[in-house]
Amino acid sequence: MKPTHSSFPWFSRLALILLGVLFLLPFFWMVSTSLKPLNETMKLPLEWLPTSPQWHNYPDAMKAMGPFWLYARNSLFLAFLNVVGTVFSSALVAYGFSRLDWRGRDTCFFVLLATMMIPFPVVMVPIYGLFRALGWIGTFQPLWVPAFLAGAFNVFLLRQFFLSIPKDLSEAARIDGCSEFRIFWQIILPLAKPALLTVALFQFMATWNDFLGPLIFLAREEQYTLALGLQALQGTISGTPWHHLMAASTLVLLPVLVLFFLTQRTFIRGIATTGLK
Amino acid sequence: MTLGERRNVLKGLLFISPWILGFLAFNLYPLVASIWFSLCDYSVLSQPVFLGAQNYVDLWRDPVFWKALRNTVLFAVVAIPLSTLLSIGLAILLNQPIAGQGIYRTIFFLPSLVPAISLAILWQWMLNGPMGLVNSLLRPPLQAINALFGSHLQAPDWLNDPNFALWGLILTGLWGTGQAVVIYLAGLQEVPIELYEAAELDGTNSWQRFLHITLPMLSPVIFFNVLMSIIGALQTFAVPYILTGGGDGPGRSLLFLATYIYQNAFDYWNMGYASALALCLFVLIIGLSLITVHYGEKKVHYSGR
Amino acid sequence: MSGRIVLEYWEKWTGFEREAMARVVEDFNQSQEKIFVRFLSVSRIDQKMMLATAGGVPPDVVGLWAINLPSYAENNALMPLDRLVRDAGIHQEEYLPVFWKLCSYRNFLWALPSTPSVTALHWNKKMFRAAGLDPEKPPRTIAELELFNEKLTRKNPDGSLAQIGHMPQEPGWWMHDFPSWFGGPSWDGDAQLLLDALPNCHFFGWLESYSKRFGGPAMFQLRGAFGNFASPDNPFFNGKVAMIMQGVWMNNFIKNYAPADFKYGVAAFPEETEHPGAPMTSAETDILVIPAGARHPKEAMQFIAFVQKQKNMEKLCLGQNKISPLVRVSDEFVRNHSHPYLRTFLYLANSPRATPTLALPTFKEYANDMTTYVNLVLLGRMSADEARLAMLARQQKALDAKLARWNQVAPARVSRWEKEVRP
Repeated sequence: MKPTHSSFPWFSRLALILLGVLFLLPFFWMVSTSLKPLNETMKLPLEWLPTSPQWHNYPDAMKAMGPFWLYARNSLFLAFLNVVGTVFSSALVAYGFSRLDWRGRDTCFFVLLATMMIPFPVVMVPIYGLFRALGWIGTFQPLWVPAFLAGAFNVFLLRQFFLSIPKDLSEAARIDGCSEFRIFWQIILPLAKPALLTVALFQFMATWNDFLGPLIFLAREEQYTLALGLQALQGTISGTPWHHLMAASTLVLLPVLVLFFLTQRTFIRGIATTGLK
Repeated sequence: MTLGERRNVLKGLLFISPWILGFLAFNLYPLVASIWFSLCDYSVLSQPVFLGAQNYVDLWRDPVFWKALRNTVLFAVVAIPLSTLLSIGLAILLNQPIAGQGIYRTIFFLPSLVPAISLAILWQWMLNGPMGLVNSLLRPPLQAINALFGSHLQAPDWLNDPNFALWGLILTGLWGTGQAVVIYLAGLQEVPIELYEAAELDGTNSWQRFLHITLPMLSPVIFFNVLMSIIGALQTFAVPYILTGGGDGPGRSLLFLATYIYQNAFDYWNMGYASALALCLFVLIIGLSLITVHYGEKKVHYSGR
Repeated sequence: MSGRIVLEYWEKWTGFEREAMARVVEDFNQSQEKIFVRFLSVSRIDQKMMLATAGGVPPDVVGLWAINLPSYAENNALMPLDRLVRDAGIHQEEYLPVFWKLCSYRNFLWALPSTPSVTALHWNKKMFRAAGLDPEKPPRTIAELELFNEKLTRKNPDGSLAQIGHMPQEPGWWMHDFPSWFGGPSWDGDAQLLLDALPNCHFFGWLESYSKRFGGPAMFQLRGAFGNFASPDNPFFNGKVAMIMQGVWMNNFIKNYAPADFKYGVAAFPEETEHPGAPMTSAETDILVIPAGARHPKEAMQFIAFVQKQKNMEKLCLGQNKISPLVRVSDEFVRNHSHPYLRTFLYLANSPRATPTLALPTFKEYANDMTTYVNLVLLGRMSADEARLAMLARQQKALDAKLARWNQVAPARVSRWEKEVRP
């Protein structure tokens, strides 16, 4: 539905245009800076556009970051495992919380909701100790194994979706003698594809963007993710090569943007539902 | 319990077993261990040594802890209302029958996709004192004001000035508020149009309609969002950490509880003290969430639920 | 490479500094057939080394900074080297005392130096001339420094600073050592911080005078406009700051980025009270350590010992344009060295008053606080005394806690270390 008309149509439009420009400016500035020679980035009054675009800033920035493609591979590898792990395990758990009736289910679900109030910084010290005891520090395991143990928020999302699937479907299958896992795997999961895709997208973003986890669990440069590699570039003592930093930031952002534009509708719908349920 | 019931429970537990494992390993154990570590001197490389309540006594007397606590709460209390207002405003604007709605929605949403690392580095540049884009845009209006009123307003050196660094971070956060816009927009679009039509027939103006229809109908969404924002804001770490180049800002103005936990744990290797801080953060999150739930539930209008 | 023991060696250096070490590593790998050193650059190495060591997967050799040493040793992250060093035939007398001291802590030796540095005043001769000062005469006391400072500082018509003679926060890397130039250290080497002794009172008072004379915000505004350190816009090269405290590596940046007509001088940084013949300098050094739990300590030592040989050490220090930590300096080293003020730096490093940088077991906390409080004083937001006392209260407590902790574990720890280093 839409309100029939606005009282100030021209005002709304003007406000939207102005705000839209403001929201786009940082993107513009990032790309513009990334194409300037270093001395032009530090010139006042500032120039909106580079006098001549320095495309080589991009390969230069990648080189300055070190093994860029290795970092990219690490990021992708972790994102892949996290997506697979989260989607599968969260769906399984959400199924147990929505399509099955058992005593204690709602109590358990309440506990699950409550765990959303325990953010990572609160528990990172003992978790670091735990992974240390397992001999996992300096390996990728701390960054993907937990994904196979379901995330509260994703379970919550999928549960809402599973609840909206008619019960009769499962009942019919049960009467046919299907095992519970087969019902989950062959009937519910295919129906839940849009919701699963949403969870997959969210998880990809979360892993791609994660900074604190790699920061404390990874020790070797050859294991760095793009986020850590970019931070290392920022931290070099010889000051701030803004053109390189902007180029590298753009490169880290780019895959996310591509993914977004490919899956825009699912994405937006997914976000919208998270807030409404 | 009958046999059938027991089988059902077993089946249920089997399905949720990944979560149970995760809960035990990454929620329950760390919380219990934190309590133990917080009573110890502990540096990972050697066994914990029991100290009693020493860490908490130190914490009580540690001005930096209070500073971090103050910053954390201040950030949440300022940033959440601001971003809520901004995103509801944007959602209402977007909900007008305007050509290109989808494009605008995408524009406002895009910044929320930017990875924390890119976001923080970009805004470190945007907020640069002399060279930043933000100040370049601010200077002309400030000069005009100065010329008119003879004042001496200057564009702040955002990230180097203890008075402005937090505002710089808030500005950064406002830019990335797009998710909430999408959520509020979806909420607005669920409001039945008949309500507005009926109100219009009653001769109400648009402000009254907003106050008596839009806001109550949107309130569950606002409530949920605010709750999630509180949990998010209280654990803020990556963006301020990177904005300050791995530090805590001028005069510790960008030191948050999560930053201080990190510093104590992985810079100073005082894991015991870090655990005490972590528990404080936990209590703070629970406390603020409960307050929100307590006051929020009364105000929230659940239509027909 | 087959059949060789592979050592993993982490270094913080990048660029030409890395290349200089890479050549020495190459020489080592060529010199024998049992060990192969894999040389890796690691950013934020202090933290990464700790994470890897705590996680039980340490590298074999790590290039750290001397300031890391006490806290790492106390945290059980390093291997005591006394026996290995003795077995390698390396002796204390071969090193300038100040650098050896930086490698020891609690009566154990934890590291050997790689490339060291001492700090000195660098001044821009052109700016001196423009201000009517003799470009060959640096200030010799703090009072003189401030006198020059007044002359060298220029303001814009709108009252903001166009250039400044000196400000402590540029580059501001040795705030914790500055009190030494006011008569004494900040730590008694044991349990007491000396922040309420005169040197620190004077130092903080000196900082406060900057905010009063130049205006805190004005200084930071000027600083905000500084360009990249490693670029022609470095404030020292482009005439924004006339006098700075810097280390021996500064010449590398000058060589690469300063304008062709840039002329600078180097001398001991002025003290509150002049000590002719025995200038003050703070010394620090990059170090090589073997992390606790490293798999091949003996082989690691063999590599470290190779670096310590005069020939190799000079090759490394020459490549990085730094001074050598060794007492003996070859003529060739001096002849081939491209630093125009090498002799000044050697003289400073040999000074009886060369002071090791403040290597507290709580260094990180201390340095972090120092930055915060110094900036608050410079900004004029806190009085000198307020900041100094706040700093004292916090840091003395941090040190007390560290020592209390240490005393609890010391007997067991020390006896284990002693066993490790026994012949």
